Amino acid sequence: MLNLISWTSSASGALGQLSLLGALLFSVAGLLLALLGGARRDPRVTEAARRATWAVFALVSLSTLVLLAALLRDDFTVRFVAEHSMRASPTWVKVTGLWGALEGSILLWAWLLAGYAFILSVTLRRDALRPWALAAMFASLVFFVGVCATVASPFTPVATLVADGRGPNPALQNHWMMAVHPVLLYLGFVGLSVPFAYAVAALVTGRLSDHWVVVTRRWTLVAWALLTAAIVAGGWWSYETLGWGGYWAWDPVENASFIPWLLTTAFLHSIQIQERRGLMRSWNVWLIVLAYASTVLGTFLNRSGIVQSVHAFAGGPVGPVFLGFLAFLLLAGTLLAAWRAPHLRDDNDPPAALSREGAFLAGNWLFVVFAVMVLVGTLFPTIVEAVQGRRDASVGPAFYNAFAIPLGLGLLLLMGVGPLLPWRRADGQGLWRALRPLMIAGAGAALLALALGVRHPGVLATVALSGYNLLGLGLLTARAARQAGGLGRTLRAQPRRYGAYLSHAGLIVLALGLAFSGTYRRDAQVTLNMNQRVHLLNEDLTLTDLETVTRPDGRSIVARVLIDGRPFSARLNTYTQGGDTPFPSPAVRYGLTGDTYLVMTGVDPKGQWASVRLIESPLVSWIWWGTLLVCVGAAFTLVTPRRAAQAAPARLAPATD
Amino acid sequence: MSVPGSESPTPLTPLPQARRRQRSPLPVVLGVAALVGLTATIAFGNLNKSLEYFVTPSEYAQQQAQLQGRPVRIGGLVKAVQYEPQTLDLRFTVTDGSVSYPVQYRGAVTDLFKENQGVVVRGEFQGNTFHATDLVVKHSEEYNVPKTQAELKDMIKSAD
Repeated sequence: MLNLISWTSSASGALGQLSLLGALLFSVAGLLLALLGGARRDPRVTEAARRATWAVFALVSLSTLVLLAALLRDDFTVRFVAEHSMRASPTWVKVTGLWGALEGSILLWAWLLAGYAFILSVTLRRDALRPWALAAMFASLVFFVGVCATVASPFTPVATLVADGRGPNPALQNHWMMAVHPVLLYLGFVGLSVPFAYAVAALVTGRLSDHWVVVTRRWTLVAWALLTAAIVAGGWWSYETLGWGGYWAWDPVENASFIPWLLTTAFLHSIQIQERRGLMRSWNVWLIVLAYASTVLGTFLNRSGIVQSVHAFAGGPVGPVFLGFLAFLLLAGTLLAAWRAPHLRDDNDPPAALSREGAFLAGNWLFVVFAVMVLVGTLFPTIVEAVQGRRDASVGPAFYNAFAIPLGLGLLLLMGVGPLLPWRRADGQGLWRALRPLMIAGAGAALLALALGVRHPGVLATVALSGYNLLGLGLLTARAARQAGGLGRTLRAQPRRYGAYLSHAGLIVLALGLAFSGTYRRDAQVTLNMNQRVHLLNEDLTLTDLETVTRPDGRSIVARVLIDGRPFSARLNTYTQGGDTPFPSPAVRYGLTGDTYLVMTGVDPKGQWASVRLIESPLVSWIWWGTLLVCVGAAFTLVTPRRAAQAAPARLAPATD
Repeated sequence: MSVPGSESPTPLTPLPQARRRQRSPLPVVLGVAALVGLTATIAFGNLNKSLEYFVTPSEYAQQQAQLQGRPVRIGGLVKAVQYEPQTLDLRFTVTDGSVSYPVQYRGAVTDLFKENQGVVVRGEFQGNTFHATDLVVKHSEEYNVPKTQAELKDMIKSAD
């Protein structure tokens, strides 16, 4: 801890550590300058603070590059490389090793944060918000760069030089998704720091008019889309590597990424109420403070080992530090919001129940309750330990599903009502007329599913709500296209609205995938003898070949199995640093209606038989495709609208954007 | 909508008190309370079913009355393994040195599953036999006989 730097043992270690310390210095200086610039209202000081972000970004980039180069050059004088990398790994594994362990992942976090601060410094308007937004970014930077340079430094000197490193965690080199999922997740997490910074600036300056909301909408959308993609990518990673044919286990780390997602989704909707109607000001501020704090909370939970998780990197002193920062964020946010509470007055009366903002507000409450429940479930074992004194209780998926399913269905229902309602106030008559065809569509879809043999109430409800939602979105789009004289024109005029529709449609596809694959997954295990056909789950399986492949970083046993005549090759990988522990690599045949998933679970040393597990889940692919639609929709909302030649006549389809 | 950048959202001439209709917050509060209450009821109502305790065989023997018929995870050491790869039938005894229970499981295990391994099994007791639905094989490189229950648990947990 005290011995941070050593000139003799490692040149690159010293360079990396120096640039981190330099970045920390510039972060602290930038924070002080920004505060001074804000307090004195001196644009020159603010300008200096703005330029300090460039120095921080450059220096953190330098240390990231140093670490990356050390990983690629197998420079075991750098401690992180000695502990988490080895010569034999393929190049892509060495690169992903950068975020495969605690110190590197915090460095990546700090680097992305510095990058966001840099982009923000370039795009910030010269207004009163500027110094304070920069100060809030610098406060986060001081923390993350500080952690990276001190308690969790990847560059601290090594005591003894090793010939070869310990190698990465085998579970993390079993699939290429490891190169994607963490980076996306951090991009999403860290992206939330920008709306947070704007909210802080709005609170401090008292400029709680709606400018900050308009500016942060884009930032939030980008972060939200990345976070969505990251969560699903993590699910895909578990699907492709963990070999149980599932993608979501309500694991603490999954929950830690899901809570910010829920809060950010709520925020994306409630800022629209503020934009359109000048309501929900204080709610929005609270929401974004909580969303950003929840990203730190998630990191704390998973890195401190307070909740045991598959993903928890070995503890170290990082837990308490993160807890301190979390407490600071919550306290500062609460104090700021409380201090400004008298100014957070809304323009209008609270929303009427039957209006778009009413639907948004109800949805917001569902999101927040959802987030709170997930948090309670995650912390429950810790709470039980504190109250009852008995260790080691864990909450199974049943606990989460009990509230996740009803809340999810409630959200699907509101998702179908919101776009139909006008802002301000709807008359019940018109709403009923608009809802009737949708109800019929939903009932029709449910009856069709019933006829096809679906009996599970949750799945039936999902199908009904999907039919109802899709028809609603389709009708709204068709009506608008008819009035604007062509689909292309209306899409160009209101990309925000149709991007949102597309994201909603993607969520429906995703929900169907979740409902069907969660309910109708079938799974069976059997031992296959060479060239003997076995009938399992309506399929015929034949083991045709077993071979052992030697890789530079371990061995793979490949089983070639014919399933209904189609070849599958499932692998059992062992890694040199993982001893004899096998890491299965399932063979998955993706299909539109369902996946066939084959995992090898055991193998005969003499090569005469292999034990396999066959899993068939319907509509799993819909989850991945639905997510793609959600992200495309989110991207589409960022397109600048083409101004229509003439203003759209009033009283058309209710305006959405 | 106020003009962006204006210092305060209040209109230039403050409205007299009478115009500001103070709507009662009661319906909102009640609605939210009902929502939270309903969700909490749903979740905690079946908490008894979904809360899983991690115990050693001795702890289970002490708390048998409380834990009867609910899913538990048992951690201990493996003894007396009988595994038939063709039928995937696995029987073994999980023990912590003083108390042991027979375990039944159907599914493949690797060669790493052998005597004196630390193991965590998830499942339910039927009579005195533990019917496992999942097993998490842990294997520590250096094996030491644990002295206490807590030590055993820590060993099993940390031996990744």
